[in-house]
Amino acid sequence: MSKTSNINRVDGFAKVTGAATYSAEYKTAGVVYACLVGSTIAKGRIKSIDTKKAEWAPGVLSVITHLNVDKPAGYKDAKDPHNFGQPLQIFKDDSIVYYDQPIALVIADTFERMQYAASLIKAEYIKEEHQTDLNKAKDKERKVDTKKGDDYHRGVVDGYKNAAIVLEEDYTIPTEVHNPMELANIIAKWDGNKPTLYTKSQGVEGTRRSIGKVFGIAPEDVSVNSEYLGGAFGMGLHTWPYEIAALIGSKKLGKPVKLVLHREQMFTNVGYRPYTIQKIGLGATKEGKIVGLTHEAVAQTSSYEDFMEGTVNMSRFLYNCENVTTRYRIVPIDICTPIWMRGPGEATGSFALESAMDELAYKLNMDPIEFRKLNYAEKDQEQNKPWSSKYLLECYEGGMERIGWENRKNEPGAVREGEWLVGYGMGTGTFGCYRSPTSVKAKLLANGNLVLQCSVNDMGPGTATMMTAIGAEVTGVSSDNVIIEMGKSGLPKGPTQGGSATTSSVGSAVNDSCQLLVKKVIDLALLNPVFKNSKAADVSFVDGNVISNKDTAKRISLVSLFEANKLQELEVENQSKADEEAKKYSIYSYSVHFVKVLVNPKLGKIRLAHVVSCADIGTVISQKTSAGQMFGGAVGGIGMGLMEVLEIDHRFGRPINNNFADYHVPVNADIEKQEVFFVNKKDPISNPMGTKGLGETALVGMAPAIANAVFNATGKRVRDLPITLDKIIETAKV
Amino acid sequence: MASKKTNENKVTPEDANSRRDFIKKSGLFTALALAPPSLVMASENKWDEKIAEYLETVPLSIEVNGAKHNLNIEPRTTLLDLLREQLQLTGTKKGCDHGQCGACTVHVDGIRILSCLSLASMQQNAKVVTIEGLSSGKKLHPMQEAFIKNDGFQCGYCTPGQIMSGIACIKEGHANSREEISEYMSGNICRCGAYHNIVDAIIEVKEGGKLI
Amino acid sequence: MKNFQIIKALSANSAVTSLSKEADAKFIAGGTNLVDLMKKNITAPDKLVDINGLDLKKIEFLKGKTVIGALAKNSDVASDKEIKEHFPLLSLALAAGASQQIRNMATVGGNMLQRTRCSYFYNTDMPCNKRVPKSGCGAIGGSNRMSAVFGASESCIAVHPSDMCVALAALDAVVTVEGPKGSRKIDFKDFHRLPGNTPEKDTVLDPKELITSVEIPENNFAKNSHYLKIRDRTSYAFALVSVAAALDLKGKKINDVRLAMGGVAHKPWRLTEAEKFLKGKEVSETVFKQAADLAMKEAVGYGDNNFKLTLGKNAIAEALTIAASK
Repeated sequence: MSKTSNINRVDGFAKVTGAATYSAEYKTAGVVYACLVGSTIAKGRIKSIDTKKAEWAPGVLSVITHLNVDKPAGYKDAKDPHNFGQPLQIFKDDSIVYYDQPIALVIADTFERMQYAASLIKAEYIKEEHQTDLNKAKDKERKVDTKKGDDYHRGVVDGYKNAAIVLEEDYTIPTEVHNPMELANIIAKWDGNKPTLYTKSQGVEGTRRSIGKVFGIAPEDVSVNSEYLGGAFGMGLHTWPYEIAALIGSKKLGKPVKLVLHREQMFTNVGYRPYTIQKIGLGATKEGKIVGLTHEAVAQTSSYEDFMEGTVNMSRFLYNCENVTTRYRIVPIDICTPIWMRGPGEATGSFALESAMDELAYKLNMDPIEFRKLNYAEKDQEQNKPWSSKYLLECYEGGMERIGWENRKNEPGAVREGEWLVGYGMGTGTFGCYRSPTSVKAKLLANGNLVLQCSVNDMGPGTATMMTAIGAEVTGVSSDNVIIEMGKSGLPKGPTQGGSATTSSVGSAVNDSCQLLVKKVIDLALLNPVFKNSKAADVSFVDGNVISNKDTAKRISLVSLFEANKLQELEVENQSKADEEAKKYSIYSYSVHFVKVLVNPKLGKIRLAHVVSCADIGTVISQKTSAGQMFGGAVGGIGMGLMEVLEIDHRFGRPINNNFADYHVPVNADIEKQEVFFVNKKDPISNPMGTKGLGETALVGMAPAIANAVFNATGKRVRDLPITLDKIIETAKV
Repeated sequence: MASKKTNENKVTPEDANSRRDFIKKSGLFTALALAPPSLVMASENKWDEKIAEYLETVPLSIEVNGAKHNLNIEPRTTLLDLLREQLQLTGTKKGCDHGQCGACTVHVDGIRILSCLSLASMQQNAKVVTIEGLSSGKKLHPMQEAFIKNDGFQCGYCTPGQIMSGIACIKEGHANSREEISEYMSGNICRCGAYHNIVDAIIEVKEGGKLI
Repeated sequence: MKNFQIIKALSANSAVTSLSKEADAKFIAGGTNLVDLMKKNITAPDKLVDINGLDLKKIEFLKGKTVIGALAKNSDVASDKEIKEHFPLLSLALAAGASQQIRNMATVGGNMLQRTRCSYFYNTDMPCNKRVPKSGCGAIGGSNRMSAVFGASESCIAVHPSDMCVALAALDAVVTVEGPKGSRKIDFKDFHRLPGNTPEKDTVLDPKELITSVEIPENNFAKNSHYLKIRDRTSYAFALVSVAAALDLKGKKINDVRLAMGGVAHKPWRLTEAEKFLKGKEVSETVFKQAADLAMKEAVGYGDNNFKLTLGKNAIAEALTIAASK
């Protein structure tokens, strides 16, 4: 373990003192307050909209609707409406395509006056028949019209059907909503034709591009600041109507506009994990060798954007199997576009695949881990490549030991602790390791500080801490003296934060830039008479001094070096990207969640008595923040498994639990004993540090682990999430 | 003015609308009719709104983090919005605005409450402590230190509320076991899922025995 | 939120007087429910009468009864030593509600007037007879997982959300109110009402009346009582079903018993049939199960909430078992 691997979160001081500034908190002179008024129907047209009362209300500066909007220049260039990534064109016309779609923007001088004025807006509609129920719109089922949307076949199509032991089951996950604690929020302002956004974006550069497109301006003219994000979990991967609306309002008034969504609007206007029905067909020999696997998914999307995710992908490579088929279909319904939610499709997919694996293990009367080990994939059959590294077996072992797997009995309901039925279960997760081209500027100052700059943001995983750890490790500068500048445009271009790619992309760029910087320092020092006849290999850069390896008395400090060369600072800006070698391998992270549940079958209460989350993520750069991420991913998975569901009353096409009292996410008391275990072995291929990514896989596999444990405890198999108590009480074998 | 004020105190927003409506319209009308310019000016300079502002506010004396404030606020302003939008103390967070998440937790007269459900106008002479009032300069409160050391957060947005709640949890005597802490911290939702480490931090402060 | 006038009441009398002068005025104490409703525009008073300055915070242990001031905070009552000793059921029920921050704000009087958490009541785009009379009941034929199984009507199947009130119903509490015509006492079991055709009315309290205190008669339930709350997560959630069980035991014999449920009706639901059945019987699993069956006999589900019929039975038996074993 390196000395920087256990440093505290570097933005901790700012966060515990309230000094960390989130988007809507930037002190902006002359800022005015805006909010969005939503439609009360799910589909149709606005017949009339009465804004008079609101316009005349005290303090109101403007009310903008489709009737008086100055349409952004990019609206007219919009191409295929189904092309994902094209935000809803707010206020474009009178059409309504989902409930709570913004129909008006109200701007006033104070928050209270704005809120009140918004309540005065009334619209009348010409209703059209809506459909928000995926189950009733299956006739609209279709493929996504891209290469990724194609069916996948290996070996015999639906080959599982020919096996000796066959399992065929449907698994359903409901709509879930990201709900980061920070509401979606923005301060928008214009300087001439150049906008500035303080917004909740997971990708500064992506937001610049999409805002540029909407307003018909160059991305370079768009300034984006997303230095602190109060979580996002994927909802910041898209540009949403509220951002466009704030910009429209600000442009009209020539004033900075602050817009913060209500919590209710977080359920209707900024994406969600799509309701998905999956079918697994799994066939094995009597000895437990898997011979066929078919994984199908049907997921909802909006009527105006095709969204898809990797729901069926892991079935192509996680287990050794000759005959694999996957199919992915979408059904457009009258609701806002989904967006990747932590773990994304893989979390959805793992619920089906890992539940089915458990079910088949029972059919075979095998221990579920033995069954998985028997079908361990030695190589990636999908891409026909070797693994770069794979420590999945170590995850199984680590988890079994910690959870006390030896206390598990295969027969459901066989273990009791007093009144409680005890069950053990596990689920596997995996996620690809990606690396995007990333630029980082590394700068040494005369005072010995190291400045690292990149436009990537840190929505909570600890990106800044990871950058600090790598920068300190490579340069030898103390982690206390590393200064991170990130999360805004104008800095060297970083990637979007998502897909667990940040450490691989940005960490590598920090590593490379810092190495080049050290080389630059040493090269400069070698010109100094102190190191006459020395070569680069003869000296080291340690604690702000270039020192001879043989004679430590021979040294030159950074301060003297800078003085001698009349320098204020020394910097390197470099772009890093994956090398060709990496393309020869298949690179994946793995997680295995183990849970011990206690179930009261009479009351349906499920307690998570012990949760152990194990992962192979390659090298662990920052122990503390990685553990935090793993704990958190597991908690997200617990929400998915036990309580999260957005309920929609399809008669009206409206959600009925769009608030934090009725949409349940885990609270502190839901978590009893939680542990995290990392294999922490370097991947030789992935990137210079040997990391593989964590944020997504931390959640993947938790929901099936719970479902499998509940079955082990009660004999009740729940195939539709979440596992609420009503699904347990009636049928549990008491 | 005094007698008019009692009369005007009943002004409802609907009245306010018609009042503005009246002044604006008559302003327009009289401008055309070359009537006294004062009404036109009143309208153009938004004096009508300034008068309304005065009539629709109430005085408030409140102490926040040791600093006394004498303000005029609308009765409907919540303590949360007063802190964030008027006093620029954005450390206290808005997560739901309906008492369902705990992000806005502050101490009022030593007790943890939700500032989103508190009308500021009902906090006359109250002593409010927010996250900004815990530390002085680089010197952190033991709970803040423990949150950093135990990594009791990720995105940091629920953190001020968690810390304010955590301090109160110990002071109330509800930090005697992991289980009890978890129950009494359940009013503070953390979507990043840092609960394990939050409980660790509170236990550390409780056992550390430092004055909090 | 609409702006409003706010005044501070100096006495219960002046509070009632100043409220009675206004067409649309409301008392405000903790504000945890009222401010929420005002933010949602579900209620929009012109005037608030802040009653926090009134001397109604005391808890007094008198001969034969305990009187709790209407302005006593939920958290203070829950942690009061003598309440814990004499009425542990009340303490447990209070501690099971909401979060500590909310309990620190919410008052005993306010809690009695807490409005339903039915989603159709809260979502102002939905039909709801309670919010807008004659607009229809969205929960009937809609999503009704939380809804009532007892005493509902064609107009409303909402449930009362309070935990505290379930305990007070079980403990035969009496509410004292002050109105323009003087003060009066209301039995707790009569305080909340069933929806009938006027679900907009939650209680029998006149809008001009002020709750000043609630009294609990002395009882022998302190040793064997329990509040069991079943919800969708471990804490900070409204009850799907809750049971307040209080037993007065002499050896194994049930001298007296009180049973009430939450999350099942428009008001805290006393299980008087089951109480009668249990009185005089010996404690046993079978007897408790029989009582539970009897208690749930009249229950009717609306679809999503059918599980409450089984859950209710199991919860009653469980609560009695725990209470008996204390």
